[in-house]
Amino acid sequence: MAPPAIVELPSVSALQENIETSRTTFQTSSHPIYLHNLALSITHNLQYHHDWSSLTVHTHSGLTNSPLPRPVISGLPPKRAYIHPDEQVEILKAEHKSGKSIEQVPEREWVLPTHLEEKWSLAKFAAVFNALDTVPPNGRETLAGEEAEIVGHQWQGKNRQKRLLLATLHDDSTVVYYIIHDGIVKPRQN
Amino acid sequence: MAEPYDSVSEPIPISLIAGRYLLFDVNVVTYLRRSHNICGSLIGGIPQHPQQNVFLGLPVELMPEEAMLLVKKEIGYIVDDVAWHTQRFNTFQGEDRQKYLASLRFQGLKARKIAQGDALKRADNALRKLAISKGKKSDPSDATPNTSLDDPPDHSSDALFESDRVASPAPSSTAFASSEPFAITPSTSYSPSSLPQNTSPPPDPPFVPGYALFEHLHSRGYFLMPGLRFGSNFNVYPGDPLRFHAHFLACAFEFDEEIPLLDLIGGGRLGTAVKKGFLIGGEDPEADSESGKKMRTFCIEWGGM
Repeated sequence: MAPPAIVELPSVSALQENIETSRTTFQTSSHPIYLHNLALSITHNLQYHHDWSSLTVHTHSGLTNSPLPRPVISGLPPKRAYIHPDEQVEILKAEHKSGKSIEQVPEREWVLPTHLEEKWSLAKFAAVFNALDTVPPNGRETLAGEEAEIVGHQWQGKNRQKRLLLATLHDDSTVVYYIIHDGIVKPRQN
Repeated sequence: MAEPYDSVSEPIPISLIAGRYLLFDVNVVTYLRRSHNICGSLIGGIPQHPQQNVFLGLPVELMPEEAMLLVKKEIGYIVDDVAWHTQRFNTFQGEDRQKYLASLRFQGLKARKIAQGDALKRADNALRKLAISKGKKSDPSDATPNTSLDDPPDHSSDALFESDRVASPAPSSTAFASSEPFAITPSTSYSPSSLPQNTSPPPDPPFVPGYALFEHLHSRGYFLMPGLRFGSNFNVYPGDPLRFHAHFLACAFEFDEEIPLLDLIGGGRLGTAVKKGFLIGGEDPEADSESGKKMRTFCIEWGGM
């Protein structure tokens, strides 16, 4: 006996729903739809797997107003995504001196969505970095006076070396994150 | 034997033998390492320990990038050793030849003199130690009156041992008495003064794809070593590799060369596992060199999430 024909498809996943609801806004975009879907998949992963907040997908460069090479995400991680090794030393010194631990406030980060099957090049990375500001828009605003007092301010906000998180999606929906610095930045002693 | 490190004069001859860039003079090797951040790798066996390859000696092999950098900065020049040797060997006669043999003999004599001096010093030290230990031994025997009766035979036995001990180093020192110079094995077939002073245009090192990145990192004070052990082009050290761990695994790419993302992730993962950054870099052919943006480098680390 043949099994009865399937009449109903299973309900769509949360991720698919997320993509469907944003679909109408893609139609007018200059980027191909698959890049938008990619960005949404990564956004979904960041929001629900890694607890990121205030996620935004940027399609145009804040510096030149021309379209970015592809949609790029910015967001706020639950804790600081990167601390420069020299800054770490500075913080430890200050903590040792005062005997109090210094609270680390997360900074907004850029996230570049990619798929594992893609091939990148130095030229493409350079184009992305050239189009991005050091700090994503709507980042933490600090007063000039206040900023100088924060331990490690030389490595924070506008003073930091340009960086982004390379988010790579695989077909099994695994996403891995790697930090890419623009230029030579010494490694952290994990 | 060899001239001190200060006497190294630029430009330095780099021997090109069978496609390898080699240095045979330990002073040159020291000088390049100290003054120009060029390490190379030791590839020669050690005569006293020929059955191992963990610790190696001269010659030093330079990476093609290192050789090219030295030539470009006019610190060194490349000598085609085979051609130079045959040319030199056939015309090596008369006064030149005598001079060269005399210099070898002089070095041999000098080496012998140093060895002799060391042997004398060793014998001297041994005698002095012997005298001190003898003094210590005799002190307590003087203090105790009971043993004073046994003194005479004790002394005589001491004297016996003493003569034995003094006698033993004597034959070895007579071996140095001969005035024959030590045999010297020169590491090059010519004396440094007889080298061609840029008489003919020296062969240029071939174009190396990773050279731009090498020069970029080297100009920033980094030391670069071959990167095989971490699967990259270079290991990049912030100071002398004997004192520091490497900071980066550097891979050179053409500016438009396609890089599979898996390679970047693999490199980043490996780099982080060994507490280093994975550095990729290359030259932007369209940027003007004055803006300082001609070289683009990116460092990749694991994101920790």
